[in-house]
Amino acid sequence: MNKIWLLMMLLSCAALLAVNPGETVNGMLDASAEAVELCISLCGIYAVWLGLLEILEASGLSEKLAKLLRPIIKRLFKGADESVHKDIAINMSANMLGLGNAATPYGIRAMKGMDDGSGVATRPMIMLMVLNATSIQLLPTTTIGLRAAAGSASPADIILPTLIATFITCLTGICLVLLCGKIFGRRKKGG
Amino acid sequence: MSAYIVPIFIVLVLLYASYKNLNTYNIFVKGAKGAIDLVVSIFPYIVAIMISVALMRISGLTDLITKWLSPVFLALGIPPEVSELVLLRPFTGSGSFALLNDIFATYGADSYISRCACVIMGSSETVFYVATVYFSQTKVKKLLYAIPCALIASLVAAIVSCLLCRVM
Repeated sequence: MNKIWLLMMLLSCAALLAVNPGETVNGMLDASAEAVELCISLCGIYAVWLGLLEILEASGLSEKLAKLLRPIIKRLFKGADESVHKDIAINMSANMLGLGNAATPYGIRAMKGMDDGSGVATRPMIMLMVLNATSIQLLPTTTIGLRAAAGSASPADIILPTLIATFITCLTGICLVLLCGKIFGRRKKGG
Repeated sequence: MSAYIVPIFIVLVLLYASYKNLNTYNIFVKGAKGAIDLVVSIFPYIVAIMISVALMRISGLTDLITKWLSPVFLALGIPPEVSELVLLRPFTGSGSFALLNDIFATYGADSYISRCACVIMGSSETVFYVATVYFSQTKVKKLLYAIPCALIASLVAAIVSCLLCRVM
């Protein structure tokens, strides 16, 4: 992330120097203000979902959900502590329902729980990130809404292709992580 | 249908909790309190990623990269009209939704291009945003193969989306 960010910043600033140097500060301040707005709305969203999560946990429901998804979680997150299974289960369920913002606080907590302090991402951590970045979405509600607003004759006819595409993407992500995990694991042992 | 999921879920959770004799109000407040801390701690990461994306856009770098990559995308079956969306999608959620609306306005909501764009939006995510936010609370500095894997999967998403829209 450090290298990517540095590269993006340096290249854009260099390009701005050549094209339009005056816009640099304005652009950064606009983006920063936008980030503040986003965080304020996220704060409201997180408050709702974290509050509900607390109830889920106190009532023991989250444990039940984790038990239900255990076969999948155990296979995908080999080596992850049992205690983070609950957070992962809620994170995955929320993602599938298309509640990406609701999934985030649980995902962050699961990541924190899996951190071993070594400074290097472990395979279960990478799996969680890639699963969230390629998440299966059962109902693309936002795109259907936007399409209907734009005057589409049948806004929902993208559901089936989206469903197939999202499954293939998710599977690709999982396979890539498993494959890379194997290559990296071997290199570590060999070196 | 999805409009029913959340209210039904909340009713079920609350009923179950009161059946277990829990003080739902107190517990909810306790959980909600954590939101402020969480947002405060991810805020700097969000600022950093949004600034760099904004600079890329106003400097014209995004356009330039789009122009360079569109022949590559075309070879993979991705029409040039949606290549900007494919590139923007990993960086910004709001930005790519704005672009999606532009595509609707330019090509019509029922065109092949628009349908492709919709399926791409539905099958991929904001990879860089997810990476920054999810790892923000950990000590992890080396993400190893996490971002490449996610990006390749997103590219596969775009290829598959365009292919599916052609036949469906």
